Amino acid sequence: MTDRSLDLLIDEVVLGLAGDADIARLEELARQDPDVAARLDQARQRFGALDDTADVLSLPDGLWARVEARLDAPEQHVPQAKAAPDNLIDLDTLRQSVGRWRRAALGGLAAAMLLAVVLGWSVLSQPGPVVVAVLLDDRGEAIALVESGRDNTTQITLLERPDMPSNQVMQVWTKPDDDGPPVSLGLLSTGRSDTLTIEGLPTPSPRQLYEITLEPAGGSPTNLPTGPIFGKGLAKAPVT
Amino acid sequence: MAGKAGHFVTDHASLLKACADGDKSALQQLMLAEGGRMLGVARRMLRRADLAEDALQESLVLIWRKAHQFDETRGSAKGWVYAILRNRCLTMLRREDREVPVSPGTLGEVLDDTTHQTILDEAFERLGTTSDLRQCLQSLEPGTRRAILSSYVLGYSHGEIAGHLGAPLGSVKSWVRRGLLKLRECLS
Repeated sequence: MTDRSLDLLIDEVVLGLAGDADIARLEELARQDPDVAARLDQARQRFGALDDTADVLSLPDGLWARVEARLDAPEQHVPQAKAAPDNLIDLDTLRQSVGRWRRAALGGLAAAMLLAVVLGWSVLSQPGPVVVAVLLDDRGEAIALVESGRDNTTQITLLERPDMPSNQVMQVWTKPDDDGPPVSLGLLSTGRSDTLTIEGLPTPSPRQLYEITLEPAGGSPTNLPTGPIFGKGLAKAPVT
Repeated sequence: MAGKAGHFVTDHASLLKACADGDKSALQQLMLAEGGRMLGVARRMLRRADLAEDALQESLVLIWRKAHQFDETRGSAKGWVYAILRNRCLTMLRREDREVPVSPGTLGEVLDDTTHQTILDEAFERLGTTSDLRQCLQSLEPGTRRAILSSYVLGYSHGEIAGHLGAPLGSVKSWVRRGLLKLRECLS
């Protein structure tokens, strides 16, 4: 990309004139290239002077309470924007907030019921793992426990938190075939222990390799491990 | 509330780092220091108090969730915070898919030309007289300046700008581009 077209891309993103694809493209460029990130920041600051010209409005009552209530909640989809109003009665706002509370309550109830069903199901019917692997780092410290079921549903329990920059993500790999390439089982995008599912792989077998590498945000660009190895280990079948 | 906090110099970057470490009071401090202005920015773009409040609330939650992605070496904290707010507002505006020219008056919340011009003039006048941005915007053709200000300040898409100016979409696009390049030349 020429400097000129990069400048234009940056300006159009900052102004809000770019489409989603262009925004994503620029964000990716900025993640990879500190120079692009600096130029983006510079453009934001230039136009940011216009943000400072907006009125300072007083915050609505109870805003903090509403924000705080959502901080511990699991990520949920942001509510759809409301359509333009077809009337201007004040009651409408009231009705909308009642509706919002009602939806929140019903949503919470539904989530609780779903959780109960899922938990019940997994406690009662989950078969044990067919293989277990303890992943070790290069100093021999255990960093994760991997348990995989017959269908390659893989539960990863992290035992250490990797020291990695925020633009990287942990990616989990296995080698179903000793002589074949590693296959990605998925990303630990939250940076926490997680369960990954994948279809189309043979049932895991003892001595199968598992490893976690640190890859650029979004996962390995080549679909093969490229980053440093956080930990690796060979699977064993549990004694039953 | 926001005015009071304005007396202090707020270190946005430290507050974001504290948010990433799970300190809710840091987010509250950020809200008290910056929330009033953020609400003003959202109100200008969304034109409705209830939508602006929704946008601010969503943005604060997003800031909390994304705080760990903020990297001080990559840019200013204030710029990062406002980018989240502006993206949120734009998403809300663009959901109505307005890439087609909109003639003034067809939608309830479309501003009439006078109000539109008043808001833009006000934003322009409030830029400090010594501000580089102001001086460089001043050097643009009035129509180009108006187009660039409409997109940043009011969140207008190319289509909406075209609708307001009664010009074809294609010419508005190339026109804004030329304006942006000129603006850059002037600012650098």
